[in-house]
Amino acid sequence: MQNLPAIVAAGRTRFGEHYEKEPEKLIEEAWLKASIEANLERKDIEACYLSDYFLPITNKLGLEEGFLSELTELHVPMEVTRSFSSALSNACNAIIAGRHDVVLVGGIEKMTDRWDKIRDDLMLLEDPWSFYAGCTPEANHELMLRAYIKKYGLKGENLEKLNVALAQVSVNNHLHATKNEFAQYQRKITLENVLDARKEARKPLGLYDFAPISDGAATIILSSDKTAKKLTTKPVYVLGFSSATDFLTFPARDDLTHFIVTRIATKNALKAAGLSLRDLQLTELYDQSTVMEMVSLEDMGFCELGKAWNSIYESCQEYQGYYEIDGRQLFVNMNGGLKADGNPLGATGGAQIFEVFRQLRGEAGERQVKTDKGLKHGCVLELEGFGTKGYVYVLGSDKN
Amino acid sequence: LSSEPIERRVSYLGDRLRGTKCQICGKEYFEIRDYCGNCGRKSFGKMLDTDLFYEKGKLEVCTLVNEPTNKFTKLGGYVYGIVSFHEGKVRVPGRLTDHIVKCDEEIDFSNLEGRPVTPRFRRRYSVDKSDIIPTISLAFTFADEYYPHQDHNLLKPSKEYDVAGIVGYGCYSSRFRINEGSMQRAIPFVDEDAITAAVEAGKLALIHSGVSSSHIGKVYVGSESNPYAVKPIASKVAQVLRLGEEDEDDVQGVDAVDTEFACKAATSVFKDAVSLVNYSKSNVDNAMVIGTDNSQAAPRDCPGGELDLFVGYGAAAFVFGKNDVIAEVEGWYSCTSDTPDFWRRDGEPFPMHGGRFTGDPAYFKHVRKASKKLMERLRLQADDVDYFVAHQPNAQFPVKVAKELGFKEEQYLPSLQVVKFGNTYSGASPVGLAAVLDVAKPDSRILVASYGSGAGSDAYSLLTTSQILDKRHRQKLTVKYQAENPFLEYVDYTTYRRLKIGM
Repeated sequence: MQNLPAIVAAGRTRFGEHYEKEPEKLIEEAWLKASIEANLERKDIEACYLSDYFLPITNKLGLEEGFLSELTELHVPMEVTRSFSSALSNACNAIIAGRHDVVLVGGIEKMTDRWDKIRDDLMLLEDPWSFYAGCTPEANHELMLRAYIKKYGLKGENLEKLNVALAQVSVNNHLHATKNEFAQYQRKITLENVLDARKEARKPLGLYDFAPISDGAATIILSSDKTAKKLTTKPVYVLGFSSATDFLTFPARDDLTHFIVTRIATKNALKAAGLSLRDLQLTELYDQSTVMEMVSLEDMGFCELGKAWNSIYESCQEYQGYYEIDGRQLFVNMNGGLKADGNPLGATGGAQIFEVFRQLRGEAGERQVKTDKGLKHGCVLELEGFGTKGYVYVLGSDKN
Repeated sequence: LSSEPIERRVSYLGDRLRGTKCQICGKEYFEIRDYCGNCGRKSFGKMLDTDLFYEKGKLEVCTLVNEPTNKFTKLGGYVYGIVSFHEGKVRVPGRLTDHIVKCDEEIDFSNLEGRPVTPRFRRRYSVDKSDIIPTISLAFTFADEYYPHQDHNLLKPSKEYDVAGIVGYGCYSSRFRINEGSMQRAIPFVDEDAITAAVEAGKLALIHSGVSSSHIGKVYVGSESNPYAVKPIASKVAQVLRLGEEDEDDVQGVDAVDTEFACKAATSVFKDAVSLVNYSKSNVDNAMVIGTDNSQAAPRDCPGGELDLFVGYGAAAFVFGKNDVIAEVEGWYSCTSDTPDFWRRDGEPFPMHGGRFTGDPAYFKHVRKASKKLMERLRLQADDVDYFVAHQPNAQFPVKVAKELGFKEEQYLPSLQVVKFGNTYSGASPVGLAAVLDVAKPDSRILVASYGSGAGSDAYSLLTTSQILDKRHRQKLTVKYQAENPFLEYVDYTTYRRLKIGM
């Protein structure tokens, strides 16, 4: 029988600006927390899967594995990918195949070290032709929103509701982050803050609609289900995972209003897990912008196409900490999402996995999700670029 | 430092908006592809090279960029969006250009979305002074505003003339003006320069002439404001306009050269173009001459700053040939002397102006001589000439020399464009000539006398044919249209300097 990958421990740094620390120091901090939790030593690690989106650009670090080897004095196989989800995919495949039994998956990013040029780098890597034409990391989100409004013919009161719903996404995420000691912004914001920032920017989205630039690191320790039992009493299983890929050039895609990668990856991850969407009460979405959170709810299938704004709007009339969709409760971005928890690209997915891991183990403290039937499953959506890659993980506290 | 190979590849595709169309299923792509995603391997060899350079697009969605990435900061705020072509079959990213977004301007995006747009050839973004200047045509303006979309239809040659001459022409200037005293002067938008104007003018000349770009065997670009000390504007023009024969590779079968002689850099080679197309063994059916300048001047309070009251921006391009001529070149006379009245040393950003020589020993002496000699040679009296076009550094000089030569207002006023566009340096007499060609009837004689500091003058006599009327409808962007356009935008002195210095 195949091995089932299980997360046995997780650790992360606070996200934010860490100008006093080298990237290696951040990963060390995250690793130490995870290794203490699992009571593991470095020598127990058989392989490392590390992710960083662009440390070679921000910090002029090539061969990141070498830095990690020097830090850990380990000589095991190490591989670097761009996103935490991508690293985790490789790690899961290695566990499933029986190649390794205990591996470290880590993500790191140090964006503030290149504060003055970071938006150019982000945009050029994300979509070069759009960059050459003058696009910014924010503009594609706004174009997607414009396309969404046109496609679904939203105007008048509905358009107002959509705009408020998007603002509420940001407000909710900030509210959640007040209960997250690792979050970059542990403070509440108001609907007016979001709306005023848009007004000031004179465009569809403003400062509070976008995730920040962050430094940070996150790690998890992944093992086979057999070994997991020896390392923890509460393993969290990777029940299913999948990814999909789309064009780099956003305008060249068939659909400007949705991310096809999310649809494909969700469908396949659920199939692999043998679960349906209705089994999921908790999701961590990749809200690089408020628009991304909204369309992701539709792309994953939680909401009907063109309707998510209404569910968000209605749920936020008296927000109870979850969205109510067709009479069901869906807990979204309990850590504050990328918006308030922070978005250090290579580590972001790690924080998302960390959150679902904690929630499923009942260790999320003040922000612990409580459901009638008990929380058993959660999922994570991570994107790379502007929806160029999409990864979906379905995690569960039971093997099914 | 920028990467030249990346730069070359991006420009190769982006300047012309090159694309591909699958001849099996009709799917279209921006960028060149060997295979169609629908048809797979069977589409290999069946992908048609296309481009969107002359096409009309539609702005699908847009937003405001008011905090651009670093390379775009000199544009200030701008509208950015997605443009579709061919009923949505192909979509590209693009920014709107020629629009100064004011700091409190509220833009209603739904008013912009859905409108027709035309690709414009512009600088892509800012780079260091020592870098290659990146360009792109993913900049657009509304086709229902200043710059209308024009269909690009080739004309089958119908008549070969004995005497070579102008087959088509185009004049290009920006939509920005500064209005001071009795003069309006054209100002480039911040992403324009002498290179972009040369390409735009050349494009208009190809549209007007109906000549296939593959039949242009040589292109000359005269300028004194090439942003490069070494690297021709003509090579950019040749590649973007796809001049000359094309093979499988990316090298155009055309000769391209830049010329420099202050303001007569372009007019000097009219005769070379005419001679070349007339020489039976040249194998050149058509030659293109472009005069282009983002006329340089030091700021007003600096040495040489007196020029800052006169400089303009614009280009004019002429296609010469023997088929379907609209104006035959019936003769010329050129003269030269070493008169240092105006110069710019290598490495200096702005020209200097020797006040002592300006006017009589320089401009008047040379223009007078070239004009008189040509009239003598062709046995012409002032009455035999319908239009007189002189170099126009200001509004006074051309009038004075015209009167001296015995010309009346109706002969010299139609060409006097300096009060509308400023002194466009290498483009000055060419813009004047274009203005005359816009209105001249068949069988009219046009006398052109350029002037280039340093110093010299070229006088040409042109005789229009009946085809000047036949082709007139092919050019919407006439000189008058550009001078009197309701979408012109007037700016103050500070903005003028910012736009002129550019990205």
